Amino acid sequence: MADLLSIDTINFLAAAILLVSLLVMASTRMGQLVRSFAFQSIMLAAISAVLAHYTGSEHIYIVAVLTLVVKGIIIPRFLMYSIDRLKVRREIEPLVGIPASLLISGGLVIVAYYVTEPLISSAEAVTRNCLAISLAVVFIGMFMMISRRKAMTQMVGLLMMENGLFLGIISTTYGMPLIVEIGIFFDVFMAVLIMGIFAYRINQTFETLDTTFLRRLRG
Amino acid sequence: MVELLLLVPLVTALLCGVSRTEKAIYVFSVVGSLVAALVAIPYCYQAFFEGPVDTGLWYLDPLSGLFMTVIVVITALVSLYSVEYLKHDRKEGEANLRDLRYYHVLLHLFAFSMLMVVVVDSLGLMWIAVEGTTLVSAFLVGFYKKSEAMEASWKYLIICSVGITLALLGIILLYASSVDALGENADTLDWSVLRSVAGQLDPALLKVSFIFILVGLGTKAGLAPMHTWLPDAHSQAPTPISALLSAVLLNCAMYGVLRVHILASEAVPGFSSSLLMFFGLFSLAIATAFILTSRDLKRFLAFSSVEHMGIIALGFGLGGPLAVFGAVFHVLAHSLTKTLMFFGAGNVIQKYRTREMKDIKGLGKTMPSTAALLVLGGAAIAGSPPFAIFIGELFIISGALAQGEYLVAGIFIALIVVIFAGMTYRIFGMVSGKPQEGLPDGEIGKLRLLPMIVLASAILVLGLFLPEVVSDAMGAVVKLFGVSA
Repeated sequence: MADLLSIDTINFLAAAILLVSLLVMASTRMGQLVRSFAFQSIMLAAISAVLAHYTGSEHIYIVAVLTLVVKGIIIPRFLMYSIDRLKVRREIEPLVGIPASLLISGGLVIVAYYVTEPLISSAEAVTRNCLAISLAVVFIGMFMMISRRKAMTQMVGLLMMENGLFLGIISTTYGMPLIVEIGIFFDVFMAVLIMGIFAYRINQTFETLDTTFLRRLRG
Repeated sequence: MVELLLLVPLVTALLCGVSRTEKAIYVFSVVGSLVAALVAIPYCYQAFFEGPVDTGLWYLDPLSGLFMTVIVVITALVSLYSVEYLKHDRKEGEANLRDLRYYHVLLHLFAFSMLMVVVVDSLGLMWIAVEGTTLVSAFLVGFYKKSEAMEASWKYLIICSVGITLALLGIILLYASSVDALGENADTLDWSVLRSVAGQLDPALLKVSFIFILVGLGTKAGLAPMHTWLPDAHSQAPTPISALLSAVLLNCAMYGVLRVHILASEAVPGFSSSLLMFFGLFSLAIATAFILTSRDLKRFLAFSSVEHMGIIALGFGLGGPLAVFGAVFHVLAHSLTKTLMFFGAGNVIQKYRTREMKDIKGLGKTMPSTAALLVLGGAAIAGSPPFAIFIGELFIISGALAQGEYLVAGIFIALIVVIFAGMTYRIFGMVSGKPQEGLPDGEIGKLRLLPMIVLASAILVLGLFLPEVVSDAMGAVVKLFGVSA
């Protein structure tokens, strides 16, 4: 019975992660965006913890803690701090309107289920939805990077893609070798830091964080 | 003791970082990279001729040996070339002592991260190292801190990060595909282990996995249509760095694709090959269009890199002993030739202070040695005999014909003929004609000609004789792909 409960919890949390991704596509403010990302990461940490309990493999607990600390707390703090310091305007300025964005995101979810359908038919019950959802979150993150014009939103898009990936990692493989996971965390953290530095420099050179100004190099 | 090999660039970076004078930085950088090349020799020899070195964490086989050779050789030449290049920048006031230190620290860290890519056994660690190369080199691309350079490095960082994220998804699926064969507790992403069970990997998962890895790492390898960051980054980076990006970084990403290609072609024969062939030909076609139309010298060379990565992918995709040998050889030939071209371009750009090819005229008169080397390199990169690239292309074409892929061979030949015409037209346009008024004659440094002469002799020797030790080493790499030379 306990197992059934775990599976239900995991499915519930995975669905919630997908919903947050959709919510992000509908948000209009930077702060809301970062908070949603933090919320999504915390739920990812929760899934890891439940999975660790379910499979009994201890190293997934470490992953859960790392996710919570790095992606749930440190990175969102850093993003909020950068937004304050760079005086980014609070509006998101989408290139694709919100209703259209939501429609496209819905389409992407269907595509993700369609693509993973042959893979998951043979998979275990736990992973059946998670793989499709992880792919959907990756796709939506990618779409967000394309359709929102600020450097900061592109960073959040990338981070969400990585959240999707982590869902895939922990659900389909019950955690890759631990050293790899720690390395990946370290890399994500470094990437955000470095992009933050670049965002700061772009802000200084162009006096804007709007990446549509980055259109000089062509041909 | 692979650690020693990795330690050398790290120590070099550290020494450059604490140096107080300009001269000390140059000395440490050049000596350090030469030591790294010397240290690498026994490892490469072992990797090529004495079977794989497998110490758990590290794994060296002929494929690692090939890319390791390219990395250490090109890094040594680049650090030698950088000396006078940066001296010139210092004189022009483009860089101060702090920038100089920063440049060299990053240069050697970059070399370190690329070496990491090719010596680790676990594909997960390899992924981390590939991401590391992006993070380090993004700073090098943005070295000049101008708005265009910022734009290029932002694009580079974002596009390659997305690519690498997709590649990670591919690696996860690869891991999932091995769970049946290895059991859930195997807990490994080691390539050597995966190779031993390659036949039992889950084909459906492996197929999807290869697609993600090809698209993800292909972004970094500069395969079209994911190549869009490449011309920007190459044109905005300091020229020695462009050489390193083009000749080494792209290959490192290709190395990752090839590792998975080897696994996939055992489990699902033909699937990964046809994808590689498609992306190879597509890159070639896109590159052709842009080589003909680009006006900026460094963008022109960058698109030529897209072309050659396409050729390499095509060669590996075709399979069969001839084509794979051609592709392996092409990896080496392209690295050497492209580095020569970028070095030449660096001389020209610093002298003429422009990258616009139409404003660069009369090189033969103003800087004859550079012009001679550029003509040589230009002929080589366009694929004319008797240079190394010609040999690689010839092997690939004969491989395609031997397998009855007449259409592929036909398209390939047609495209490289067009590229040949476009290349030679551009190069001779720059060499001939009358230089602009008031430009003094003379080279802008003697030392920077040395690495160029080394490269020019290397591509000539490889094209004319193909020393036995080289062909044996290449043969060992070819064997890994399940075909014997």
